[in-house]
Amino acid sequence: MLESPPRRFAPLSLLEPSSMTTPSQSSSLYAALVDALPDPILVVTGSDRSDLSGRRFILANAAARELLRISVDEGLLLSAVRDPEVLAAVDRALFEGADAEGVYETSGAQTRSLRVRARPLGPNSGAGAAGVALALVTFHDETEVRRVEKTRVDFLANASHELRTPLASLSGFIETLRGHARDDPAAREKFLGIMQAQADRMARLIADLTSLSRIELDEHVAPKGVVDLALVVGEVVEAAAPLGRQRGLKLYWCAEAASQVLVRGERDQIVQVVQNLLENAMKYSPDGETVRLDLASGLTDVAAAAGPEGAPRLSLVAPDSSSQTYAVLRVTDQGPGIARQNLPRLSERFYRVDGQKSGERSGTGLGLAIVKHIVNRHRGGLTVASAEGAGSTFTAYFPMSEPGDVAKAS
Amino acid sequence: MNEHIVRSYEDELNTLAAECARMGGLCEAQVADAVNAVVKRNQELASSVVARDDKLDEAERDIERKTIRLIALRQPVADDLRRAVAAMKVANNLERCGDLAKNIAKRTLVIIESDPLTPLTRSIERMGRLVLGRLSSVLDAYTRADLERAMAVWSQDDEVDEHYNSLFRELLTYMMGDPRTITACAHMLFVAKNLERIGDHATNIAEIIRYQITGEEAFTARPKTDALQV
Repeated sequence: MLESPPRRFAPLSLLEPSSMTTPSQSSSLYAALVDALPDPILVVTGSDRSDLSGRRFILANAAARELLRISVDEGLLLSAVRDPEVLAAVDRALFEGADAEGVYETSGAQTRSLRVRARPLGPNSGAGAAGVALALVTFHDETEVRRVEKTRVDFLANASHELRTPLASLSGFIETLRGHARDDPAAREKFLGIMQAQADRMARLIADLTSLSRIELDEHVAPKGVVDLALVVGEVVEAAAPLGRQRGLKLYWCAEAASQVLVRGERDQIVQVVQNLLENAMKYSPDGETVRLDLASGLTDVAAAAGPEGAPRLSLVAPDSSSQTYAVLRVTDQGPGIARQNLPRLSERFYRVDGQKSGERSGTGLGLAIVKHIVNRHRGGLTVASAEGAGSTFTAYFPMSEPGDVAKAS
Repeated sequence: MNEHIVRSYEDELNTLAAECARMGGLCEAQVADAVNAVVKRNQELASSVVARDDKLDEAERDIERKTIRLIALRQPVADDLRRAVAAMKVANNLERCGDLAKNIAKRTLVIIESDPLTPLTRSIERMGRLVLGRLSSVLDAYTRADLERAMAVWSQDDEVDEHYNSLFRELLTYMMGDPRTITACAHMLFVAKNLERIGDHATNIAEIIRYQITGEEAFTARPKTDALQV
């Protein structure tokens, strides 16, 4: 693409005299190399600061063409980039011969944020009217860094907000009890009941936060024990049955011939996964509806991740290796369902689907985050399938234990 | 397009389009910064949006001057004429978008003084991202003379309207719930309205692109939901 192959690359071709001798071969190699680089790269020319249409890009590698949504590798600079910050950086490199930086943000469904560096190229750089100046523009993706930062900020804001609400209510009632309600036994009893409930809510939140941080600490330590998933599910369902009866919910638990389903894992944590999934399903089911649990074993990861037909499905955690067989637990409710755009954020801490206030339901907003981390630690997977008005299905799957594991565990 | 024998004529037309593109970039940045300023409650950013609006006005005047000069000196016909006229009209719409962004920034300065309305700003952020996406893709369509992309923007206007309607309802609930939020909410309502109008300007630009490429101008009614039925 450049008119003459760059000189300074010559020594490389000397290293391999048999395969690369002609300049055209090595220049096509370099063209392929630039094209294959993962970071977007542009080479821009310009001769005059006042001539906007004179600024052209003469090279755009594959990543740049994808980022800037252009189909050609040469053209008007302004047809590829309009961002004022990037243009200013390019001008500085072209006409002042200095390095410059900026931030480029893409618009659209997935916003990406990239650091842009413009740097003068070749002997004519900064020469202004003396000739055609060249500049190299590179983009480096920093979306992930910014996202992590944003998550951290959100977490702090949310955690303090979730704690402040019950705390405000507690101190309000303490004030009332000291004032008007001092000599009113009936009111006192009622207020103390509310205070108890609020204190319980705070305790639950703190317990969830603690267990989440403990699980995160252990996330890269594989669990050692062997757990019978069928037994665990049976116990959890039994424990939840009284609450279900109160609200007329039918818990439909369908074990595969009631046999053992052994998975590798830590019992307490597996119990927590089943508990949280079942609690969520019950919480969002209208009274009198059915919550259905299915257990299957011996599936490959692809079969395990598959959900019911039709509904949009999203994988929240997926395991790395695929040679395993998995035991799969599906929890299906007939609740209001979740809109497609909300699915990716479900396992975020304190994330609530819009319009749903924290006071309405008794949850802490951490349940699915805990499930996600436990499943991840167990090298398992978690998928959700849901559509508005059509209920939701959460699928958690864990690697089955192999005969050797039992011996090790006992 | 055939190249002109007089090379500088083609250059002038290209420069006009390039200036429009640059102005579009400025306008996108203004809208993005204005939305960010509301969402992040960033006073400094809001003030800088207000201050930068002059640049857009200047760019519009410049493009208009150049277009008139080109029409007067070169007397373009057919698609050359349409390119020149389209550049002027696009600049016009972009300048209006800039004004709306500036207005959002000004209102931000007032909104910042009251307590944050967290769930609302999230809705504003979503709507802002949607409108900005439309503006970007219509400008992409302009710089690439891509009729298909322009028409895609043109036909998807009702999504913004839906967002606006749901925000309107959300704001009403807030104001009824707590009269102290009325000042901030009323300003928020205008912010949402301004975003909606920026979306309309994106639609206008899509129509201009169609005129530039095909020469057809009259349009049948766009798909539209009635914003007043609440």
